[in-house]
This record gives sequence, C-alpha cells and structure tokens, in this order.
Amino acid sequence: MEGKSATASGEAGAVVAGMKVVVAVDASEESLNALTWALDSVIAPRSGAGVSVVVVHAQPGPDHFVYPVAAHGIAITYSPTSAIESMRKAQEEISRKVSATGAIVEGDAKEAICQAVEEMHADLLILGSRGLGKIKRAFLGSVSDYLVHHACCPVLVVKPTKAHDK
Amino acid sequence: MASPAAPQPKLQKVMVAVDESECSHHALEWALRNLAASIAPPLLVITVQPLLPLGYVSAASFGSPLGIPVVAPELIKSMQEQQQQLSQALIDKANQICAQHGVAVETMIKTGDPKEMICEAAEESRVDLLIVGSHSRGPVQRLFLGSVSNYCMHHCKCPVLVVKKQGRIGWYSDN
Repeated sequence: MEGKSATASGEAGAVVAGMKVVVAVDASEESLNALTWALDSVIAPRSGAGVSVVVVHAQPGPDHFVYPVAAHGIAITYSPTSAIESMRKAQEEISRKVSATGAIVEGDAKEAICQAVEEMHADLLILGSRGLGKIKRAFLGSVSDYLVHHACCPVLVVKPTKAHDK
Repeated sequence: MASPAAPQPKLQKVMVAVDESECSHHALEWALRNLAASIAPPLLVITVQPLLPLGYVSAASFGSPLGIPVVAPELIKSMQEQQQQLSQALIDKANQICAQHGVAVETMIKTGDPKEMICEAAEESRVDLLIVGSHSRGPVQRLFLGSVSNYCMHHCKCPVLVVKKQGRIGWYSDN
C-alpha cells in the first residue's frame, strides 16, 4: 500500500530547476495511456533537466460499478484493491523510465486531486479523460473538467485516441 | 528503449495559440521554459483574427442623411488593415519570445471564429499537443475558463494543455 507522497523524490541534483509533474490516474485504461504518453512525451525528454513525478491515484466514488481491473467477475462497487492494482501497473510503467513517488487520495476524486496538486505545489498536472463517445463529445469526464477549471497549475488533458494513425 | 544519453524530443508538432491576451503569451513562455526538451522544432504558433464585426459598421451608418445605410469601403479597408497589423504584431511578439528561448518557430495567421479555427488548424497539422492560455480577455479568475480554451479542451482530439496564470498570488483563496 503506497503511503502519502513525499515532496522530494529520489531525483538527484537540482531541485531548483526541476519541474514537479503530477499525473492523476484511476482504474481506467485511458488514464494509464495518459501516463504512458506523459512519460514518453513530457517527462523522459526532460529527465536530464530534473523532473520529479508524482502519480496520484484517485479512488473513484461508489457510483462506479464495473471495474476492468477487478478479476472477480462480480460487479464490485468499491474496491481498495483496484487502487493498488492500478498503482502497481503505473509504477511498472514508470519504473522503467524514471523514478517517481506515488500517492493515493481518497474521497471525492476531483477535489482530492485538486487539493493534492495545490499542496504539492505541482508545476503541471496531467490526466486522461474518459472521452465519453461521439455523442457525448461535448463533455469531458467530470473529474478532468473540474480539474481544468480549478487546479492551480497548468493542466494537460490527454484524450483517448481510438486509432493511432501515425 | 532509446539510449539514455540523449533523450529525443517526442512531441513532433506542438502548436500554441496566441491572441492579444497576456494569458496566451504567458502560456507560450511557460511552454518554452518547461517543455523545451520535449518539443521538436519548429514550434507552431497560430493566431486567429476574428471576422470583422461588419454588423457594427453598417449600424454606424444608419444615421446617414439619405436613409440608406452606406458602408464606406475605406472604413472596412482600414479595419481590415488594423486587424492585420494587430495579428502581425502578435506574431512578431511570439517570434521574439521564441527567439529569446532559442526555439525555431513557424507561425500562421488564420481568420474566422478563433475556437473553431484553432481546432481545425490543430487537426490539419496533426499536432501532438495544443497549448492554449485560459482566458482571452478580462481578469483571470480561478473558477472560470475562457470560451476558446474550453472549446479546444472538448473538441480537439489531440492532448490539450491549458496554462493559467498562477492564481495563487494575490487572489482570494476559496479553500
């Protein structure tokens, strides 16, 4: 079980020039894609200049019934193990590339992440968005929408790309 | 993976939208300061000049003695020129900022509805990341998001970065 995040990760050297990047993940695949994108595009190129990464897992509220991560075959409304599971996956991704700390925030995901970002004095917040299909394209997931409005730092939203046509 | 000695910038095409607001220039500077390592040159900078509010121009001539609204072509022309000068000044300023950071830049000026044109341009150029400021005019308030950045957030398929001016300093705290 991950503890609360430490403000200084294991990064050597200049914390002064370093950028603190917080990546918010939940149990969804989109957020893990966002994490991968963030690592490849933003964090890895900068790792020479100093960057510290905090992965924040937000525990979704009890209105989420189906967890892709839950392996039990039963719809579970609230499963602490999924948090650990997605953190583990996230950490696997990251540890290949850069050192990072993790944190799990509980309670209302959007407010909790917002507060965490403020407390950590993050320089950048990266998150995925659920991308609720073509018809609902007008809406981002409510968590990402809230964070774009309220976070105290720049927010980067990574949309799910259905077809990578590069 | 690639050799750890020299990490290659992975974002091949990054577009920054600027307008006359300080917010967007702040966004450009933020990107140059913090994401320089991730951006492969050239950086694309776009500014969109809104369509001329010709409705106002026509209305201004309703008081003409003949009762026929006459829109002086010189007036329209001078408005267009002014608009172009403004856009060019924005582009020049962006060029200057990028030059200060030593980043090559490619600029484009489009005309039309800013939010739609930005998204269209981002798609046409197949950018990897779109960067926008949070407001185009008015005081920066933490709880609101400007209409252009909001639209881009929802409609662009690429990742979108919204850069706000730091709201912590000098504004009331609503914690």
